[in-house]
Amino acid sequence: MEENLEHSDWMKEMKDTGFTTPSNYFEGLNQSIQAKLSMERLKVSVHEDGFTVPTCYFEQLQSGILAKTTDVVQSRPEPKLIKLWHSKLLKYASAACFVIVAGIGTLYYNQQTERTSVAMTEEMATEQMLYDIDEEVIIEHIEANSNQLPKASASEIAMENYILNNYSQNELVADL
Amino acid sequence: MKQVEDSEILEKFSQEKTRNEAFNLLLNKYQQKIYWHIRRLVLNHDDTDDLVQDVFIKVWKNLEKFRSDSQLYTWIYRIATNESITFLNKQKQQNNTPLDEVSAELADNLVASSYFNGDKVQLKLQKALLTLPEKQRLIFNMKYFDELKYEEISEITGTSVGALKASFHIAVKKIETFMLNEDITF
Repeated sequence: MEENLEHSDWMKEMKDTGFTTPSNYFEGLNQSIQAKLSMERLKVSVHEDGFTVPTCYFEQLQSGILAKTTDVVQSRPEPKLIKLWHSKLLKYASAACFVIVAGIGTLYYNQQTERTSVAMTEEMATEQMLYDIDEEVIIEHIEANSNQLPKASASEIAMENYILNNYSQNELVADL
Repeated sequence: MKQVEDSEILEKFSQEKTRNEAFNLLLNKYQQKIYWHIRRLVLNHDDTDDLVQDVFIKVWKNLEKFRSDSQLYTWIYRIATNESITFLNKQKQQNNTPLDEVSAELADNLVASSYFNGDKVQLKLQKALLTLPEKQRLIFNMKYFDELKYEEISEITGTSVGALKASFHIAVKKIETFMLNEDITF
């Protein structure tokens, strides 16, 4: 008896195989089987549909279709070829325009480069001038011209820092 | 005779030198399938002849744009289906036929057609199919006659697989009922 109990437990476990079916499958299955049976019965009683074709129809059909595809290919309009340059004059005029635009562009670029180098040269000259002027002269000049600034005693280092933070090189050169 | 792969057809079609050869291979492979697919929808041989040629001309014009995100034959089927449905709708409008009389008119034309030699049972099946709504008839044809998978029909029609299954099951029931109805004879 115990063996029987064990056997049935094991059988119950084995029934759950993990396989599943689509939803409502068994409801539709009955219909599918019935329909297939009806079809089988129909095929037994009605072997063919009764339709016929003229003799050699399919051989002629193929050649007829192929002939029509040739017509399709021939009737396709050829793509129109549009020349970029209609005449030599237009070709040379385009080339000339390109040369003029390129020339103007180059000229403009050169001018810009010159201005930049001139500005850089001027700045370098200003720096050199400041370098040549004595520091005490610069400090005296600023003290003499500045009335609004607070007159506090400052060490030389503090004065230098003040000048560097508040005056540009060009301003100093212009005043001196 | 070994069927050529769609990938080979597309590869050859992409090169101008082998384009005609590729199209020949495509026609060999699909023209009959597409013919019968259209024929079962429009019934008349001459109308089918016009439509199948229009379909393959469209295929020729658009194949280089074909993206391989669907199968080649489902793409061709889709073109054929759309052309057929457009044709049937135009016919209805031109003839000014009330919708409930359309199937009767098509069935009469079928009987009169020189390219239908079916027996009474086959004729009864065609009439049964004509009682179905157009889309249901289309789905039935593709499943029953063309033996396409639901996933393929879904690609062609843009309808979900679940809806296709439901539609097909309903169509089969209707046809079976019609066929078993002994009151309907020809």
